[in-house]
Amino acid sequence: MRIRNCSITLGLLGLLPSVLAAQTPVRIALSSATLSVAVGDRVQLTAQVSDADGNQLDVPVRFYSSARRDFPISRDGVLQPVKGGEFVAFVRVNTARNVRDSLVFNIDFPPVREVSMAPTGERFFVGATVRHRSTVIDASDAVRKDVPVTWSTSDPGVASVDRFGRLTAHREGMVTLSARAEDVSASHRYRVVANPIATLSLTMSQDSARTGDVLHATAVALDARGQRVEDAPITYTLVSHAADSVVAQYPPAEVDQQGRFVAQNAGEYTVMAITPGHVAQQTILITNRFVTQEVQFIGHAAVRDVKTSDLWIWEGIDGRDYAVTGTHGANGAAYFWDVTDPSNPEMIDSIVVDARTVNDVKISEDGRVAVISREGASNRRNGLLVLDVTNPRDVKIHAAFDDGLTGGVHNVFIYDNHIYAINNGRRFDVINIEDPKNPHRVGRFELDTPGHGIHDVWVVDGIAYTSNWADGVVLVDVGNGIMGGSPSNPVEIARYSDFDGATHAAFPYRSPTGRFYIIMGDERGGARFDGLQPGTPGLMAGYMHFVDFTDPLNPEEVARYEVPEAGSHNMWIEDDKLYAAFYQGGLRVVDISGELKGNLYLQGREIARYMAYDPEGFVPNSPMTWGPQPYKGNLFFAEFYSGLWAVKLQPRVKLTQ
Amino acid sequence: MRIIAIASLLFGGVGAGAGAGAAPPAQQGEPEAYLFYVASESEDEVTLLRFTAGEGLTIEKVISVGVLPAEIEGPHGVYVDPDGSHWYLTLGHGFPFGSLWKYETGSDTAVGRIELGLFPSTVSVPPVGGLAFAVNSNFYGDPEPSTISIIDLASMIEIERTETCTMPHGSRFSPDGLRHYSTCMLDDVLVELDVATLDVARRLDLSPPSGSGAVCSPTWAMPASSGEYVYVACNKSHELLEVRLEDWVITWRISAPTAPYNIALTPDDEKIVVTQKGSAEVSVWRRSTGERIALIPSARRVTHGVVVSPDGRYAFVSVEGIGGERGAVDVIDLQDLQRVATADVGKQAGGIAFWKVVS
Repeated sequence: MRIRNCSITLGLLGLLPSVLAAQTPVRIALSSATLSVAVGDRVQLTAQVSDADGNQLDVPVRFYSSARRDFPISRDGVLQPVKGGEFVAFVRVNTARNVRDSLVFNIDFPPVREVSMAPTGERFFVGATVRHRSTVIDASDAVRKDVPVTWSTSDPGVASVDRFGRLTAHREGMVTLSARAEDVSASHRYRVVANPIATLSLTMSQDSARTGDVLHATAVALDARGQRVEDAPITYTLVSHAADSVVAQYPPAEVDQQGRFVAQNAGEYTVMAITPGHVAQQTILITNRFVTQEVQFIGHAAVRDVKTSDLWIWEGIDGRDYAVTGTHGANGAAYFWDVTDPSNPEMIDSIVVDARTVNDVKISEDGRVAVISREGASNRRNGLLVLDVTNPRDVKIHAAFDDGLTGGVHNVFIYDNHIYAINNGRRFDVINIEDPKNPHRVGRFELDTPGHGIHDVWVVDGIAYTSNWADGVVLVDVGNGIMGGSPSNPVEIARYSDFDGATHAAFPYRSPTGRFYIIMGDERGGARFDGLQPGTPGLMAGYMHFVDFTDPLNPEEVARYEVPEAGSHNMWIEDDKLYAAFYQGGLRVVDISGELKGNLYLQGREIARYMAYDPEGFVPNSPMTWGPQPYKGNLFFAEFYSGLWAVKLQPRVKLTQ
Repeated sequence: MRIIAIASLLFGGVGAGAGAGAAPPAQQGEPEAYLFYVASESEDEVTLLRFTAGEGLTIEKVISVGVLPAEIEGPHGVYVDPDGSHWYLTLGHGFPFGSLWKYETGSDTAVGRIELGLFPSTVSVPPVGGLAFAVNSNFYGDPEPSTISIIDLASMIEIERTETCTMPHGSRFSPDGLRHYSTCMLDDVLVELDVATLDVARRLDLSPPSGSGAVCSPTWAMPASSGEYVYVACNKSHELLEVRLEDWVITWRISAPTAPYNIALTPDDEKIVVTQKGSAEVSVWRRSTGERIALIPSARRVTHGVVVSPDGRYAFVSVEGIGGERGAVDVIDLQDLQRVATADVGKQAGGIAFWKVVS
């Protein structure tokens, strides 16, 4: 946009420098015909540029917004907000440093278009109290949580409602419950009837259990004829008498409104079911879980000059046991180890490629082929290497593959003669390696969400479990058949994103309980401090989310494993145990037997931890655990600062008294 | 320590090779020291270095950058604000988008951040300051048109993404700050942006003569201080190009050693300094004649960035190294045409920006 002309006549050529100086923009004033703007309005902003003498100048200016999506401003100053709230409009002269101005707009929200409430039903019992929730949507289809909702009933004598939407019925009759937001309301008509409930009973699935065990409370309301009252409103609650009553402790137990109870502390807990006129209760005894086991150090394959990334342990075709480890921000090396005697691991070969990071290493199911990822190649052609590991003491390169993978491969997986490769953090490519000397791409899968990214892929039973940062975990059929997918035609099955939006790794777990969980691990940076110097350990944050995917169309996040002041990384699950790398929190072994709910860390489900201190490590005495793999009774894990370690869980010992 | 001059303020970002004039005089008896930043893409570090003639090259400070200690986030482009108050850094990797960071000089504390496009690389600031132009190189994505992000540095708001071409890279401003030049590595094009409007003003096909079968793959565009020419490195055809801005034509195309990559000019436009990424050398050319006057081996392989001191005496050159090799910074005496100092820095040293001269 050009501001109105203001001509300056140059009198004498000798005055040019001063005149030019006077023409230099030094000030800009942004104005709007009105500051009262609503969503959908169209307002032209204007700007006047002037020089040091106050002369108005004809120079291009640029308008812009503090929030392009919600408060768009065209380059020539047409403002057309799509959401309400406080925003800032800016204008500047691009060719000057600080000739800029701004205006704050408080955009009126659009009017409320729709209000809805839940739950609803046909009848309501005298004496019952049920909390209702409202949803408010405005004319721009935005869900609004800032609009006050006023609750009312048509006849408070029949039923009254408080400001939280809790409806309480007092006597029989018809009553209309209303929720109003601005000029829009929702209403629901109830028939308040005499409470038919004659008895209420409560049964717990167990009368004693351990911390972390999930118990199910089942309340049954019967009428005078002994018939079940299916629509009886039931509220579950509990009274805690935890053995550990230290002040300001976490809540020692919880029960949700599906009747699922879990305790973090030992003690007596009375679970109560409440329905109008009746309370049923049952007291249960919770004891400590007592699952801890000793960890015995077995061996250490030290890598101290560079940082270590991922690992894989496998049985070679000669029956001996081998390991491969990658390197991070280093020399592009992958190291091969004979770990047949894990107390004396022996480096037997290495591969060095033009890269700085070999972030991931994987071995085929038959132990013959390896794939290693490449990042930081000097020619910016990264990709991956397919290796012949039939003789791990003499590893050979089958093929280098970088076609379309130049951006770097961060993670890989081998499944059924195909490599699944994370390509440039945007998608995964499927590469056929039936002939490992001639890898070729057969498929790819990429989300279509705005700004999507992907970090990891893990394939089990023909389903690729992909970790996609803000998009969470996405399950993709790559041969399972459930959605007709194949390596060349990957088809999405389901997805779930968690609150943190930092999904970095995912691992499926089919529990003996019949439930199917997916554990989603965050990766987030921890606190940083000014002056943090290279050579000091980094700090990571984040935790593991347990999502019940038994019904893949309705996944439910049910539990977490969070180590305070540490961050989650890679994991493995075997025999009801979660082996979890928690960076500066070391290696953790967690009992995930049974149904899962709540905070597993606080429930005493931690079986073991191991902090791999190495005085001569890349960063001395700084555990930074990258990834674990249980193997033939030992537990191998990669340490960022010190290499490959092996430990062994010791049988739980019951001390004689 | 007394600051004699903030170089980029006086010379409009000589770190970018622009600007004209003599260096500020040194106090008698006090050696002048040159301070500059280097980004190490595979180490997530930025290093502040000091060079003093006769005393050598030393590391003042190493600054960890990025937010995830266990991921490489790829600091690539670095540029010091012309007023010396801040430095700006692109991080190539994100989830998936890269970002521009604003740091205070002196404290080297991050004070601002804005998410940009896919793999932002070169960043530059016009002599008057106020804006940053960061090219979204998208080095690794599908070959499709990408953009230049324009960021208001006071608010750290991206005010525009101007689409230019496939894999934009190597960008710098004209000395008057009214034009911005960038190259298109996969399109063989030089792009001129009008800073006032943020629109593409002109495009120039840089392709080698038809029939040669070669591609230019331009990696850097460096305007001369005179404002008359832009110099372009053709990385794949191994050429150095001079483009006359008045009529937007290539005025000469000369053969260079393997894979010229970045370019800087002395403030008097007399010498052109070119990093030879493929041959691990720095070539120095006499601009007026197009004659190569020196070919100086780098400390190690993959020579990357170059910046010339405000007095035109020294060139500071970043060298990536390969694999596990450390990165390096070489100091080249442009009078004696020889390397006079080297220091190790983090792996894959790339972006390099001059800060100031002190005594």
